[in-house]
Amino acid sequence: MKAQQINWWAIFWIVLAALYFLLPMYGTLDFSLRMERNTISLKAYEIVFADPRFWRGFQYSTLMALITIVVSIILFVPTVYWMYLKVPQARPIMEIITILPFVIPTIVYVFGLIRTFSRPPFQLTLHAFTTDMLIVAGYVVISMPFMFRAIDVGMRALDVRTLTEAAQSLGSNWFQVLVYVIVPNLRVAILSGALISFATVMGELILASFLVRPALAPYMALLGLTKAYEPAALAIISYALTWFSLGLLQIVSQGGTTRQLTGR
Amino acid sequence: MGRFSSIRVLLCFAVPPRCKGTVVAMSTSPPPRYRNNAWREHPLWNWVGLVPFFLFIFLFLIIPSLNLFTGAFVTNKGFFTLENLSVFRNPLVLKAYMTSLQVSLLTAVIGGLFGFFVAAAITLGHPPRWMRSLIMTFSGLAANFGGVPLAFAFIATLGRTGFVTALLKEVCFPGPDGTQICPFNPYDHGFSLYSLTGLVLAYTYFQFPLMVLTITPALEGMRKEWREAAANLGASTWQYWRDIALPVLTPSILGASILLFGNAFGAYATAQALTGGSIPLVTIFVGQQIRGDVLGNPHEGYAMAMGMVVVMAITIVAYSMLQRQASRWMKV
Amino acid sequence: MTHLELSHIRKAFGAAVVVEDFNLAVNQGEFISFLGPSGCGKTTTLRMIAGFELPTAGTITIDGNDLTNTPPNKRNVGMVFQSYALFPNMTVAHNVGYGLKITSKSKAEIMQRVHEMLALIQMEEFAQRYPFQLSGGQQQRVALARALAIRPQLLLLDEPLSALDAKIRLELRHEIRRIQRQLGITTIYVTHDQEEALSLSDRIVVMSKGKIEQVGTPTEIYNAPATEFVARFVGHINLLPVTVLNPTDGVISLGRQTLRAGRFGKLNGRPVQLAVRPEEINLGAKPDTNTLSGEVESVTYLGSIVRIGLRIEHHPLSLDVFNEHTLKLPRIGETHTIHFPVNACWLIEKSD
Ligand SMILES: Nc1ncnc2c1ncn2[C@@H]1O[C@H](COP(=O)(O)OP(=O)(O)OP(=O)(O)O)[C@@H](O)[C@H]1O
Ligand SMILES: [Mg+2]
Repeated sequence: MKAQQINWWAIFWIVLAALYFLLPMYGTLDFSLRMERNTISLKAYEIVFADPRFWRGFQYSTLMALITIVVSIILFVPTVYWMYLKVPQARPIMEIITILPFVIPTIVYVFGLIRTFSRPPFQLTLHAFTTDMLIVAGYVVISMPFMFRAIDVGMRALDVRTLTEAAQSLGSNWFQVLVYVIVPNLRVAILSGALISFATVMGELILASFLVRPALAPYMALLGLTKAYEPAALAIISYALTWFSLGLLQIVSQGGTTRQLTGR
Repeated sequence: MGRFSSIRVLLCFAVPPRCKGTVVAMSTSPPPRYRNNAWREHPLWNWVGLVPFFLFIFLFLIIPSLNLFTGAFVTNKGFFTLENLSVFRNPLVLKAYMTSLQVSLLTAVIGGLFGFFVAAAITLGHPPRWMRSLIMTFSGLAANFGGVPLAFAFIATLGRTGFVTALLKEVCFPGPDGTQICPFNPYDHGFSLYSLTGLVLAYTYFQFPLMVLTITPALEGMRKEWREAAANLGASTWQYWRDIALPVLTPSILGASILLFGNAFGAYATAQALTGGSIPLVTIFVGQQIRGDVLGNPHEGYAMAMGMVVVMAITIVAYSMLQRQASRWMKV
Repeated sequence: MTHLELSHIRKAFGAAVVVEDFNLAVNQGEFISFLGPSGCGKTTTLRMIAGFELPTAGTITIDGNDLTNTPPNKRNVGMVFQSYALFPNMTVAHNVGYGLKITSKSKAEIMQRVHEMLALIQMEEFAQRYPFQLSGGQQQRVALARALAIRPQLLLLDEPLSALDAKIRLELRHEIRRIQRQLGITTIYVTHDQEEALSLSDRIVVMSKGKIEQVGTPTEIYNAPATEFVARFVGHINLLPVTVLNPTDGVISLGRQTLRAGRFGKLNGRPVQLAVRPEEINLGAKPDTNTLSGEVESVTYLGSIVRIGLRIEHHPLSLDVFNEHTLKLPRIGETHTIHFPVNACWLIEKSD
């Protein structure tokens, strides 16, 4: 049959897709460099980087993302581990629960959060610190589908029971098994979950915007209302940020595979 | 970015290499030491380790959701009522739901079809390897790219002064009477990025890569022998697609469609940043309701938000019924 | 009566020539096997007959009609794949009836034919099952029925049994042959299992590196392999480098010992080898046979037979004896005399 001849029909769709990907990116890049008339300049970027609100948003979002990741790991790793070890029959329930944030639109979810936590008995929205606690909880929930599944898939590749029993027979307790045996074996899964969570939180608009916290995305949205060139520069920065996290993810997961092949 | 990231989760099953963990092989397992504590044998004890998780979920997912539900069915004073549901008789609200459904269906279909063709091109079309990995990498990126920056990108590209608009504007011909005719300026033909069309164009940017990511593994699973066996029995290419390829792909296509639909239905940031809330989507409406009480009664807002969950629930139930029908032939 | 004819078929993928000068005439109702090591081009040849690959050169005709450029869906050739390739979305009955549906036969006609085919493979009660509900052996039987339902002019099977376990393989092998005889359909069967080829075929085509080494009946292939490759590939054989002393009556020498070969072609001075199957060799001496002596190196139980390895004039030689209860086995290190009939050995040119 037509063995290795070039399939023009396929090339057509691929080129179309590439154009769809690249044109807006190029358009944005081009636009962001044209702040000064008739010349290419980095003026828009300079303005963005000179704006303390940008750095504040960046700092805040990064911090929240890191806290979210830590909380997620502390919450989900032992849970999934326990599920594998003791209650495999809990899996269907866990799967439904962890997919819920996907079914409930974030805007609806944030509405529920505000209704619940803006009044007693769990009033958290009064102070910045407690609001940040609430926002982290929200981020954990929003990124849960990914985090949970990444850990789940990683754990599936481990023979959790045998590992645990082997470690216990060598005198480890539960905590030691988890920290010294399970977690090191899960590091690729945890890292990939963490990177996606990071990208999610860095770009998250709804929670931060409605809980009125100084995150990166609301700053961008605000800037978009009043400025023309700076938002384009911000879009490029944000694109680079996503690219960076996902690129790192690619490297991490590939590194994991190689390590696997070489028999660790 | 934003909520779109979480979509990758669902791909985890479909794209195992992304989620691979490390494998450790153990040849022997020495017998574990069990302490003889009868109370530990009780089946409920097994669930103890899940308590922190369930507590967290209960507090930060279940209670807020229930609160919306109860909120939708009580008056300001806290009495039970069905009054709030009258919000669904409000033509503005109905319009918002219709628009949201329309956008979601439209982008799911357009993004789905486009994504399907692209995925088919990179799998069945046997393009050079680098094209394939380029498309896959970009899809991973673009499916996670949404919200405010996406809106900016489209404004810079297809907005009034966008770069593609400018290019199209400049395609001019001398007319018969010596004047210049520039027939390709999209804004002369009623196009606007800040309209429904623009929104659909922008959504497609993350919708079709999502389709590519979800459907590619299914297309890769299409065995060459099926096509050959069909040809061998006299089937034409078209008959093969109708009788074998599409039925085999249907469960995956259904799954991907629901993903795309939900993805668009819940999207807020892109629309807000692109149109400044001028297109009445349910999410925008709910957002305005949270900001300030546009409906005059917060409980009607809860009813509206609950309506979104109901739409999603109905979609998922319909999906699982269709799915059961379409995947009769699959091993569970 | 020639039914299928392949003449001067050549196939190249880019620079790699995979099949070269392939000529074969297959008679109506014949069962032909392609036998050869992995990568020798068996599948490629079969796929050219089915129409999935286009020959780089040469022609394929069936009953005198040139099919070389006919697309696969117009050839009316049934094919059974190694991996079954049942359509997963269709029941057994729909799979079997698919080819008929394509030709727009009436529902009743399709149903009748499906029943007929399922009866042939003895799987009537499975009509409504999906492929995933069947065992591998059952799936392959359905695949066979599906290929036969369209009454193809030709049945092609590409290692249909290699994915199955040993017992099913044996069972299904007989079933394929039974059905083939019953329908009298011309069949080409690709395998790398020599036992399968020997037990099933009317004729075997032994291939190596894209070329035909020998075409012949199982007896010819086994008892009179034409080349060293065929001799080595089919069955176990001893090949001893010998010197021809008398080219007219086949007297040869192996070191200091003199022998006679039963069959030999034209000896043109090229180096030759004496070929003899282990089962033709016996322990002890006997008049009017080729008699040699050597040291026992190994004794291996293989169940019904025992294989004894000797070293004769620095060359290894193995012989098989039946594992009877009276058998007295030689011991390693002992020197023994062995003999084999003159008719049971022949000369083969040494290949390069
Ligand atoms: N589409 C292709 N492109 C390039 N080379 C190919 C192609 N198909 C087969 N080949 C090469 O042709 C040679 C013969 O392959 P073929 O599949 O015919 O072998 P085979 O005899 O069937 O082997 P096996 O017993 O392993 O099935 C192999 O070296 C293979 O690598
Ligand atoms: Mg083969």
